[in-house]
Amino acid sequence: MRKPVWCLVLAVCLLYPLAVLAGEASESPGAAPLPVGATFPDLPLGSALSPEQRAYLGIAKKEGPVSLADISAPVVVVEIFSMYCPHCQKEAPLVNDLFDLLEKGGHADKVKLLGIGAGNSAMEVDIFRAKFEPRFPLVPDQDFTVHDACGRVGTPYFYVLARKPGEAAYTVAISRLGRMDSPESLVNDILAAAP
Amino acid sequence: MDHIDRFAGQNQTGCPLPAIRGLGALAAMAAALAVVLLGAIVAAWAEESPGFAESIFQSAGPQKPVDSVLAVAPGDPMPDFDLPAIDGGRVRLADYVGKKKLVISFVPAAWTPVCSGQWPGYNIAKEIFEAENAALLGISVDNVPSLHAWVTQMGGLWFPVASDFWPHGGLAGKLGILRPEGVSERAIFIVDEKGIIRSIAVSDINVRPDLGELVRALRDLH
Repeated sequence: MRKPVWCLVLAVCLLYPLAVLAGEASESPGAAPLPVGATFPDLPLGSALSPEQRAYLGIAKKEGPVSLADISAPVVVVEIFSMYCPHCQKEAPLVNDLFDLLEKGGHADKVKLLGIGAGNSAMEVDIFRAKFEPRFPLVPDQDFTVHDACGRVGTPYFYVLARKPGEAAYTVAISRLGRMDSPESLVNDILAAAP
Repeated sequence: MDHIDRFAGQNQTGCPLPAIRGLGALAAMAAALAVVLLGAIVAAWAEESPGFAESIFQSAGPQKPVDSVLAVAPGDPMPDFDLPAIDGGRVRLADYVGKKKLVISFVPAAWTPVCSGQWPGYNIAKEIFEAENAALLGISVDNVPSLHAWVTQMGGLWFPVASDFWPHGGLAGKLGILRPEGVSERAIFIVDEKGIIRSIAVSDINVRPDLGELVRALRDLH
């Protein structure tokens, strides 16, 4: 019976600090996050996406301004971030790990990642991109238009969106403020919430 | 305290726990409980102590965007300064002249919303400043201890932060960016290697300035 006891000790030592530290975020006054089950607004993504970014989102053939509804993937993970948010800066390498895990797990076609730079200009988003080198698109939202549409949430904020076949709009499957527990756990949550 | 009471209650009412046999297992269980209790105490302390967001002062409403008159212009020599920094040292104009361009970011006040969201963004732009052979210096009219606590709570900054507290707003006054209420404007000065002011941007005190504009201004100096 000693094994279970030591397992308990190990589990407590490993997991408890994580529980205490989870959820780091920059809060946003007046936030009203969109709940699970809500229809997600069709976010404008502008016209500045590069050919590589358009190819990743599956909209390579579409020219000019695009929106969220143009993406064909059944699942989209939208991270609302700000280059000024220290938690988002710390989270950036882990979001890259999330991207890699989805790719290695064979989910790259099904699940797309998208970052929205709340209140960030194009150059501010470029600075964030140059620093952390994400392989998924980051879109500036300097005037907070998208941020307002997404519920004025704190950062980082993760919306996991799922779209059923035949439907035009995405539905919120996960709505979560703060840093993820781990990329592995978020992958599991994504695949469980949007199978 | 809620966490501690809850854990205690579970144990007293017979929450299923692994069977304990021998002193080693007893010690292990005691260690596990100690970790749980320690974590609960930390969590309870965290709940009772205000976090960084709750420590930020929220003013009643927007302030007058700009409320001072510049006393210098691009092309003027930067007024000399020698200010105490939050690392315990001093920051002098002479530290930079002849060596680097100097970007000075004045923010109105520590522990306020816009200022607390401005400098952390500069934390990921260090390479940009270095590429332009520029140093960055943050200044406010707060005193050193207050600035130190604020910057620490923000998670630290790679650039020096100096206090223009005493004589109050001395440098801000020479530059013409000291507002009637005793805080500085939200302003950015770019000084070249010869100590000449090359760019001045006094922005709306209520709005975080675009870092992109600063980068462009810095690059335009070539």
